[in-house]
Amino acid sequence: MPSAGGAATPPGDIVVRLEHVVLSFGGGPVLDDVSLQVRRGETKVLLGESGAGKSVLMKLVLGLLRPDRGRVWVFDQEVSAMKEQALYDLRRKIGMTFQESALFDSLSVRDNVAYRLEEDGVLTPEAMDERVRTCLSFVNLDAVMDKMPAELSGGMRHRVSIARALATSPEIMLYDSPTGGLDPETATTIMDLIIKLRDCNHVTALLATHRLQDGYLLATHAWDDATQTARWAAEGARHTSFLLLRQGRAIFDGSAAELRRDADPYVREFLS
Amino acid sequence: MADRTLGAPPPDSALSQALKQWLFSFQEFWLLTAQAFRNIAATPFYAADTFLQMDSIGVGSLPIVVLTGFFTGAVMALQLSATLTEYGQIDRLGQLVSLSLVLELGPVLSALMIGARNASGMASELGSMVVTEQIDAMRALGTDPVKKLVTPRLIATIVMTFFLTLIADMCGIVGGWVYAVMGIHMNGALYWFSAFRILDASSMIQGLIKPLIFGGIIATVGCYYGMKARGGTQGVGRATTQAVVLASLLIIISDFLLSRLLVGILGT
Ligand SMILES: Nc1ncnc2c1ncn2[C@@H]1O[C@H](COP(=O)(O)OP(=O)(O)OP(=O)(O)O)[C@@H](O)[C@H]1O
Ligand SMILES: [Mg+2]
Repeated sequence: MPSAGGAATPPGDIVVRLEHVVLSFGGGPVLDDVSLQVRRGETKVLLGESGAGKSVLMKLVLGLLRPDRGRVWVFDQEVSAMKEQALYDLRRKIGMTFQESALFDSLSVRDNVAYRLEEDGVLTPEAMDERVRTCLSFVNLDAVMDKMPAELSGGMRHRVSIARALATSPEIMLYDSPTGGLDPETATTIMDLIIKLRDCNHVTALLATHRLQDGYLLATHAWDDATQTARWAAEGARHTSFLLLRQGRAIFDGSAAELRRDADPYVREFLS
Repeated sequence: MADRTLGAPPPDSALSQALKQWLFSFQEFWLLTAQAFRNIAATPFYAADTFLQMDSIGVGSLPIVVLTGFFTGAVMALQLSATLTEYGQIDRLGQLVSLSLVLELGPVLSALMIGARNASGMASELGSMVVTEQIDAMRALGTDPVKKLVTPRLIATIVMTFFLTLIADMCGIVGGWVYAVMGIHMNGALYWFSAFRILDASSMIQGLIKPLIFGGIIATVGCYYGMKARGGTQGVGRATTQAVVLASLLIIISDFLLSRLLVGILGT
């Protein structure tokens, strides 16, 4: 990676890398010797039951938590060795949606989505409003701009948090259970959006879910610009890979086809 | 976890655990405080957040500070007047009331009231942001929560405690005057004359440095307990209580230490 030359890394390069990461909160390890790599433009689906360590892994990538052992790299920077102050700049290139939305409840929906734009202070208020409206319409929520988070349903809050993460068009997205608690129709809308970001904007992503069908949807569909929908296409598989976590250990890492063929009894049980 | 094989654990393990925990918290507290102060000069400066906090702390605490000051002054006049009359010194009532208010009661009682209201408010507000992952979300969005949340509260509390203490002092002297005139039919002008003549530079400086320190204590303790809240709503409740208790204790203890120090520097 020294030859890669900073931000101008060519496509296909590794953007997120974990090396033998171990993390515990006092008790036993929550993540135990986990390694993974995500290439530029790829979406890595983190599968695993509740408590497997998916959310913790995402927070490690952002440097919100620090590993006890092992190293975490994002772009060409070693997140696990960086000071908190230095991380703030790096995090501005990464968007994360939290499992429980984590919207700022003292700010309106508009101000939540515009949060990072206002911090950057580059756009005029009109341009900011425009951008907020675009992001909210991505998630079918144009109507709630002036509401407070407390007035929204859980699913709506979740979609606002996706809009907030998208506002500055980050190069890396971390989706923590993006379809959790959503009705099937909205869940499909969200998954279509994720596919669109992957195929049109070439966003590199980590997606945590315990719903296998979300992962398969990513692996079997691609964005079709002509019809503006995600349609069945084999090339989806090229940009999607899977990591299966079981009690903090990575027990499978590979493509959808490999996942279907894997003989490990736990993998088979998880798939069934 | 593992090595419990050597029979009984060493007898001091619980104690040393607690001590270690305490030292760790102490260090964490000072780190947060240092960081919050360092951010005062750093960019970006969150002016809007600071004014919002000033409004909520200052305007919100005004009624309780006014009432506390007024009735403290009045009750002092009430209690002192009997003794002073007995010794034929009733014309000194104004100076006793104003001096004890400016030096001690004004700063301490205002700080205790402001602390009860705002240290708890800060601990519960920041605490709920921690347990609902809003602090993590803020960090994820590239904002330093100390800069955005703690420093504005620190500045606002210091500035507002200062001015609220001035108001409390004033209300207290007025309260004493009201009792002196209405309760014991003293000459109002005499009261005011003695109340203001006694206030020299040294006692004014003492009385005005204290609220700055107390304001710092209220904000840092409140924010510290908020930021380290863990374990859901229960944890937030605990943090809130602890913040008020510790802030009040520190105000009273530091009042003694400050008085000793300032008397040493300024003379009496
Ligand atoms: N702050 C924390 N303190 C202590 N333990 C934690 C903390 N965060 C997570 N854990 C533990 O780490 C393990 C993994 O948690 P994590 O939230 O990553 O699970 P998950 O895979 O995201 O599950 P879900 O699908 O339910 O979201 C759990 O056993 C949890 O108890
Ligand atoms: Mg989770």
